[in-house]
Amino acid sequence: MEEKNKSIGKAVNRIDGILKITGKATYATDYPIKNMAFAVIFKSTIASGTIVNLDTTSAEQANGVLAVITHKNAPRLNEKGGIRGGALLQSPEILFYGQHIGVVVAETFEQARHAAHLIKVDYQKKEGKTDFEKLATSAGAPRGKELADLIRGDALGMLDTSAVKLEEVYETPIEHHHPMEPHSTIAVWEGDKVVLYNGSQIINGAQAAAAETLNLKPEQVRIVSPFIGGGFGSKGGQWANLILTAVAAKVVSRPVKLALTRQQMFNSVGLRQQNIQRISLGASKDGKLISLVHETTTQTAIDSEFLEPCGDCSKVMYEVPNALISYKVAPMHMMLPTYTRGPGKSTGSFALESAMDELAYKLQMDPIELRIKNEPQKDPSNGKPWSSRKTVECLREGAKAFGWANRKVVPGSNRVGDDLIGYGVACGTYPARQRDSSAVIKLTKSGENVFAIVEIAASDLGTGTNTILAQTAADGLGIPLVHVTVKLGDSDLPPAAGSVGSVGAASFANAVNDACTKITDELLARSAKQFFIRPTAYQLIVSENIKNYQTRVDAKAPKEAEQYSAHSFNANFAEVRVNALTGMVKVTRFLAVTGAGKILNPKTARSQIIGGNVWGIGMALSEESVMDPRWGNFATRSFGDYHVPANLDVGKLDAIFINEEDKIPNKMGVKGIGEVGIVGVAAAIANAIFNATGKRIRKLPITPDKLI
Amino acid sequence: MRPFKYTGANSPSDALKLLIKNPNARFLAGGTNLIDLMKEDVERPDELIDLTRLDSTSFSKISFGVNTAGVSLGATGKNTDAAHHPEIRQNFPILTKAILAGASAQIRNMATNGGNLLQRTRCSYFYDTAMACNKRSPGSGCAAMEGINRMHAIFGWSENCVAVYPSDMAVALSALDARIKVMQADGNVRSIPIHDFHRLPGDHPEKDNNLNRTELITSIEIPTNKFAAHSAYVKVRDRNSYAFALVSVAAGLVLEGNKILSAHIAMGGVAHKPWRALKAEALLKGKIASTANFTAAAQAEMTEAKPLSHNKFKVALGRNTIVSALEIALRGAESPI
Repeated sequence: MEEKNKSIGKAVNRIDGILKITGKATYATDYPIKNMAFAVIFKSTIASGTIVNLDTTSAEQANGVLAVITHKNAPRLNEKGGIRGGALLQSPEILFYGQHIGVVVAETFEQARHAAHLIKVDYQKKEGKTDFEKLATSAGAPRGKELADLIRGDALGMLDTSAVKLEEVYETPIEHHHPMEPHSTIAVWEGDKVVLYNGSQIINGAQAAAAETLNLKPEQVRIVSPFIGGGFGSKGGQWANLILTAVAAKVVSRPVKLALTRQQMFNSVGLRQQNIQRISLGASKDGKLISLVHETTTQTAIDSEFLEPCGDCSKVMYEVPNALISYKVAPMHMMLPTYTRGPGKSTGSFALESAMDELAYKLQMDPIELRIKNEPQKDPSNGKPWSSRKTVECLREGAKAFGWANRKVVPGSNRVGDDLIGYGVACGTYPARQRDSSAVIKLTKSGENVFAIVEIAASDLGTGTNTILAQTAADGLGIPLVHVTVKLGDSDLPPAAGSVGSVGAASFANAVNDACTKITDELLARSAKQFFIRPTAYQLIVSENIKNYQTRVDAKAPKEAEQYSAHSFNANFAEVRVNALTGMVKVTRFLAVTGAGKILNPKTARSQIIGGNVWGIGMALSEESVMDPRWGNFATRSFGDYHVPANLDVGKLDAIFINEEDKIPNKMGVKGIGEVGIVGVAAAIANAIFNATGKRIRKLPITPDKLI
Repeated sequence: MRPFKYTGANSPSDALKLLIKNPNARFLAGGTNLIDLMKEDVERPDELIDLTRLDSTSFSKISFGVNTAGVSLGATGKNTDAAHHPEIRQNFPILTKAILAGASAQIRNMATNGGNLLQRTRCSYFYDTAMACNKRSPGSGCAAMEGINRMHAIFGWSENCVAVYPSDMAVALSALDARIKVMQADGNVRSIPIHDFHRLPGDHPEKDNNLNRTELITSIEIPTNKFAAHSAYVKVRDRNSYAFALVSVAAGLVLEGNKILSAHIAMGGVAHKPWRALKAEALLKGKIASTANFTAAAQAEMTEAKPLSHNKFKVALGRNTIVSALEIALRGAESPI
C-alpha cells in the first residue's frame, strides 16, 4: 500500500465522532428497554460497626416501590468473585463510610430516590480507623509481594557520605476519578442469562467478575459496553453497583437501571489513596546521583489491600548505584483505593521530580542538565537494555520549543505587575506492554468494494480505540477507512485485554494487525495466481471473486519483548503566573513532549496527552477529597467542593511526539499514551511555582492558602 | 427529593396568598440552589410556587431613573441580564464583576437576582443530612466547628454555626449600600438595607436573613455611586472559575486627586453575611491612596478575625485581598473576573 494512502499515523477524525456529538452513541443507560424499573442505592452513615435495625416499612409502602433489597433479603453472592470494594449486601457489618446498605427499586427514579430517604437505620457503632494522620505513624509493610522493598547497594549508608544531600516529604491527597459518565448499569435477565449494559474498561474482566459473584458461568453473563464516558481506572475493576443492578432485576423480574449519583461516586468506585512520600537524594558536587531513597506511606481499606506503586518512577528514571524503595500501608475504614490515572507514577513523579528540582537548585545546576547527567543507559532496576528511551530528546526538543532559555534562574525574579512568572520541568514514564487479545475479521465483497468488520472485545473509554482499530484494519487489508466497521465493547466478541495501564492500543491494534496479516496469508494460500509483490487482502478478494471470508487470530506479545525494558517517556514544561497577593495560580502554558513509539493517530493521541495534562493541572492545583477524620466521611462531596479544572484553569496546551521506531515491545511499535500524559505534570507545575515565587510546596494541591 | 406540588403564581400578591395557605410551601425562582437542596433532602417543601411566570414589569425588569435614583433590579430578573446590562456595566461595574465571578454561565442564566440573595450556605455539613447542623436541624449541633472548616467564617460566627454566606453579588450590593424591597402579605412594601438583610448566626443559624416567611422580595434598589471608575471585585478561590470564594472583596474608592474621600469595602467568604469592612473604611477616609495606607487599613480590619482550626490563612488572605482590590480600584484597571 502506498504511504500516502495509509491511514495509520494520520490525524484521522474519530469515526464515532458524529454519533457522539449528535447523542446517538449508546452509553450504558441509553438503551430504550421496555418495562424498565429504576434502582437507587442507599448508604451507611458510619464507617465501622453493625446494622442492628433496618426499618424499610415506609419505603416499601411508598408510591411505586417494587422492592427494597438489603442484607436481610439479598440473594447470597460469592463475595470472592472478583468485585472490588465489597458492599454486596451480604452482612450487616459496616467497613467504611458510605458502604452500600441497600437498594430501592421503583417504577421511576424519583420514586426510588424518595423511598430511599424513608429508610431508618440503627447502628451499633465501633471506633473506626479513619484518621490517616494518626494511623500513618503505625503503618506496616504491605502484604503484596510486588511492593517488596527494592534494595540496590547501600542507599542509607551512601546517603550519609554524599557531598550534597536532600531529604524531603511530599504529600498527595485522596483524589477521585469522576469520569463524566458516573457508573451506571442496565440489567436484563433472559432466563438464566443476564445482559449487563455497563461501562467497563475490561469487558472480559467484568464478565468474569459478574459471573463469579452471581454464581453463574461466564457464558451466562454478557457485558455490553460499546461507549464509555471515561473511567480513568475506576471502570477497570468492577464494583458492587454492577452486581446490585443484576440482583435488583432478578428480584423484581424486570429490567432495572441503576446509575450512581455524583455524590455517591465518592465512596462507591474506588479512589486514589493519600500518600506521604519521603525522598532522600545523595549526589556528588557535580550532580551525579549516588543514593536514592523513596519511602511511601499510604492507606488502604480495612479488609483489602491496594497500593499504587509510588516508587515505580524512582526505579527506572535515573542512574543511581544505591537505591531503597519501600512502602508502608495503614488499613483504614475507607473505600478501597484503586488504579487511578498513572497509578503510582503520577503521584510518585510528583515526589521524585520535585526532589530533583530541589537538588538542581541546591547544586546550582539547570534542572534539565541534572536529569541528562543522570540518564541511565539501561534499566537500573533490572539491568535490562531499554527497548528505546528518548528522555534526553524529550528534554532537549521540549526546551527548544518551550523557550526554556527565557527562564529566570533566580526564583521570584520574574514579576509583571502583581504576577510572578515561573518555568518548571519534570519527566515521567510508564511501562509499555502488549497483552493477549483475539480478533476476528470478516470480509464481504460488494461489487468492486470489500467491506470489513473487525470484532474484538476491546473497550473504548472515549480515547479513540474505535478509530485506531479501523485505521489498522484499513491499512492491513488495503481498503478505505470508511469500509471498515469496528465492533467492540461486547463480551460476545473475541476476548481481549482491557483499556487499562496503557495496554489498550498495543494489545488491540496488534491483534487486528495480526488478523489482517493472517487473513492475507490465508487468501494468498488459496490463490493459484502468482504475485511478485505481496498482494493486499482487498486485491485477493477481488481477483479471486470471493464473496465472504473471515479469520480469527489470538495475538500475543513477542517473546523477545521480555528481554528488554520497554517504557514511554516524557518531559513536561510548565509556565505559571502566581498572583503575589492572592496566591492564585494560573498555568499559562504547558508542553508535554512524549516518546511513545508509533503514534497511530496524532489527533486522538494529542487529545489523550492534553487530557492527562489537564488532570495533572487539577492534581497540582485544586483536586482533593478531604476525609473528616472523626467519621471517615468526605467533607468534599460534590463538584462544588471537588475542584476539577475549569476552562479558566487551563492555559495553552501543546503536545509534541518524538519520532520513535521501536518494534521490540510489539510488532506495531506502539508503546501507549493513556497513562504517561499525567506523569510528571504536577511536579512540572510545582517546580514552576517555586521558580515563580521561591516557595517550595510539597503538599498537593497547591491552593492559594499555601502561597500567601 | 420528596414529592411536591407545583403551583404557578399569577401576581406577587397571588404568590403570597398561595404561600400563606400552605406552611410547607416555598417560592421557586431560578431553582439553582433550592432544587439541589431538595435532591439532597435538605429542603423538604411539599409545594413550590413558581414566581418566574410573573410578567409584572417591575418584578422581572431592570429599571433606572426617577423612582429609584439609581437602578432597580427586578427580583425575578436573571443574574446574567443584570451583569451584562450596559448601564450597569458602566455605572455599577463591581456588580457586573461580582455576578460574573459567581457560579457558571449556565447557572447565571437561570439564577434570579432575588434568589441570589436567598441562596443558602455551601457548608458541606449543611448539605449532608447525616451530619449535625444547627442551620438545617436546629439543636443538632455544628459538625463544622471542630471539622473541616477551611471554607468557613472568621468573623461573626457563633458556637452554633460557623457557615459563610456564599453570594458574590451580595458582596457588591453591600459595598453599593443597596436596599432590598419586599412586599408583605397585606400588600404593604418595606425596604431593608442590605446590611440588615442577612444575619449573623447567633442563636438562630437556621435563619439566614431577616425576611419574614410571608414576605416576597420584589426588587433590589441600588443608589448611585461615585466610585464606578475606581472599583474592583477580587475573588480568591481554589480554581479560577466555578468555585466559591475563600475570600472575596468588593472595593470602591471615591477620590479627589490621590486623596480618599471615602472607601467602600465589603468582604465575602468570611462571615454569615457580606462583611462590610467598616474599620478599614474609617481608617482610609481622608488618607492618601497608597499601598502603605491600604495595608494598614486591611490589617486593622483583620485584627478582630477569629479563625477556626483549618482557616487561619483567611486572616492574611483577607488582608492581601483587600489590598489587591484597593490597588486595582486605584489604578482603575479591570479586575480579574
